[in-house]
Amino acid sequence: METVLDTLFWIVLFAHLVMALVAIWRIGRGENGLARLSGLDLFSTLTIATLVIISIIRKESIFIDVAIAAAALGYLSTVALAKYIAEHRMV
Amino acid sequence: MEIFLQTLALIFLILGTLLSLIGVIGFIRLPDVYTRLHATGKVSIFGLVFLLFAAAFLNPALIWKALLLIFFVLIASPSVSHAIASAAHKAGVPLIGQRDDLKDAEKRG
Repeated sequence: METVLDTLFWIVLFAHLVMALVAIWRIGRGENGLARLSGLDLFSTLTIATLVIISIIRKESIFIDVAIAAAALGYLSTVALAKYIAEHRMV
Repeated sequence: MEIFLQTLALIFLILGTLLSLIGVIGFIRLPDVYTRLHATGKVSIFGLVFLLFAAAFLNPALIWKALLLIFFVLIASPSVSHAIASAAHKAGVPLIGQRDDLKDAEKRG
């Protein structure tokens, strides 16, 4: 059971890193500003998920604290950018 | 008890990763900002929350931090989606579908 779980952790970590790379690639190909902004939101979510997996692998709870801070930062920056784009009508 | 919690964590890890994968595939394939937001919601709600369940099952010391992050994500993710969709509608990004109920309601006053 232990070895199965250890292998699975690394597979899940690799899958999340690949998904984050795909999100970055899609941000570069976005057709307008808001499509890019939704990609940025997806990337910040995948970053938080990667931090949670690292905390599972290393069995340390400090990474969950880092994930909470990253979640707060991503939330505030995304909402502020969305409001800015809506107010100035720059798509 | 130990093996039961580990099996539960394994199930949640696989389920969360698969749902994140579905969300990212939807994010690539869907045609529109509004429909794409519907796909990214899957990643933050199901993917992240199931991973945090797995972390709490494997290491009971961090269950309160995991619950705090779940609570924050459950509040933050829908409001981020709503902010982006409302900004897109205000900035005039065209819809793929035929119906636009918000525009009709604004026209009626």
